[in-house]
Amino acid sequence: MLTTNKIGITGMGIVSSIGDDVSSFCNSLRMGESGIKKVACIKEPRASAVIAAELRKFSFLEFLDRFRNVPDEKLQTAKRLGQRAPFAIRTSIISAMEAWQNAQLFSNQPSPDRIGLIVAGQNSTQNYQYDLIPKFRENPEYLSPRYALEFLETNQVGTISELFGIKGEGFMVGGASASGNVGIIKGYQLVLSGLVDLCMVVGVVADLSPMDIQGFINIGAMGGKKYINQADKACRPFDTKHEGFIYGQASACVILESESSALKRGVHFQAEIKGCSLNLDSNSSSDPNINGETKAMLSALGKAGLSASDIDYLNTHGSSSPLGDKTESEAISQVFGNHSSDLWLNSTKGLTGHCLYSAGVVESIATIEQMKGGFLHPNKNLEEPIRKDLKFCGAEAIDHQINFAMSNSFGFGGINTSIVLKRGEN
Amino acid sequence: MSKEHVYEVVKKVIMEVLPDVKLEQISIEKKLKEYGANSIDRMEIAAMSMEQLDLKIPLMSFAQVSNIEGLVDVLTENLVEAGSNKEI
Repeated sequence: MLTTNKIGITGMGIVSSIGDDVSSFCNSLRMGESGIKKVACIKEPRASAVIAAELRKFSFLEFLDRFRNVPDEKLQTAKRLGQRAPFAIRTSIISAMEAWQNAQLFSNQPSPDRIGLIVAGQNSTQNYQYDLIPKFRENPEYLSPRYALEFLETNQVGTISELFGIKGEGFMVGGASASGNVGIIKGYQLVLSGLVDLCMVVGVVADLSPMDIQGFINIGAMGGKKYINQADKACRPFDTKHEGFIYGQASACVILESESSALKRGVHFQAEIKGCSLNLDSNSSSDPNINGETKAMLSALGKAGLSASDIDYLNTHGSSSPLGDKTESEAISQVFGNHSSDLWLNSTKGLTGHCLYSAGVVESIATIEQMKGGFLHPNKNLEEPIRKDLKFCGAEAIDHQINFAMSNSFGFGGINTSIVLKRGEN
Repeated sequence: MSKEHVYEVVKKVIMEVLPDVKLEQISIEKKLKEYGANSIDRMEIAAMSMEQLDLKIPLMSFAQVSNIEGLVDVLTENLVEAGSNKEI
């Protein structure tokens, strides 16, 4: 038996505004297709954000019906668990099913005790609760008894573990906009420690209530004003006309697995996690910090045993926030020095919007798909870059072989994360 | 409101909470468990039936219920007591 500490990604699944599964998502990345549109249905009170990359085509039963070669019993369980569940859980079930199938786990599963589950996200029930409040105020007696399960976000852990028969460690992690990366980092550590052989990491869709959206507007984080009538131009990472993040929805899932488990099951790494880092700024506010971001990138490189010049491509946090983009581009310049002019950069958020809790997982999948396909997706709406000395992708996708990539996610509360990925062998 | 009417309401709620159950499969002497309902599903069926019938009683009132008929009976009795026994 091979005894290495290698950990890789052996399965991926996604439901996003630009693709209902990994292959359609990848196609949209290549085409530079944006999911950002005028919001279809505006709730009362009318929040001023009317532009978002929503999951407007999502239908739980239809999406479930599309799965082929999944044991009928699993589909029935998924239907039973999801049919009356809140939106956030339904989308998690669909992305998790795709990742599980992609990792060939329906046919070849290790012992349930050796499988872990990390659900990355926080405040996932906000909109579900917001919708129930008017009825509750009127008739508290009629509140569904299921509410006691569903308002706890660990309902995601319970539901997904029941669906896939997962019996190892399992929990939720929150890290604001870095939640997805925090989930991947904790999953990596769980496999590395030997507590599990594989770990499912699910990035939860951000189902924001009108109050949450207004909060983001009032704190000055959300954009969409200048391009109110040209929705697909509103998200402009690293462009001088950027003005804040544009809300996006996606659920995304990756399966992390040790090399020995993958070999035993006959599956290959789609990418290897070479190193990752999570550090805090000791800051309760929303402002980014160049030192914290620099430290995350350097530390991830150090753990990967690589130098800055080994990295071919960086999937930036790039949220289209003026201060956020400026800080990150300065941190990149500091970390990569002379190599900055050779390091390709793009931001997936220009296409998907900012998927908040799931962003890290969405962007790891985007990075891996670009590595597998040998291309770099466009950096949408970058007309006048805030810095001329960095190598941003342009309006069209280009062919490019990536051997090592980095993916950044930063969150409110001074949470900095960075992950280094290596292209898989196949 | 008659027991028959309450039973009709309960049947509709059962099918909503347990989508795989067909109308013709439901019979009043059966237990909800036999249709695959877990304890939360059963509580939800009671709460949703109350809502449909515009009745407010503590969910604990259903603690001793052992089958669908028991549920229908508790609902019917309380509807009568609540004075909302409208003849239909």
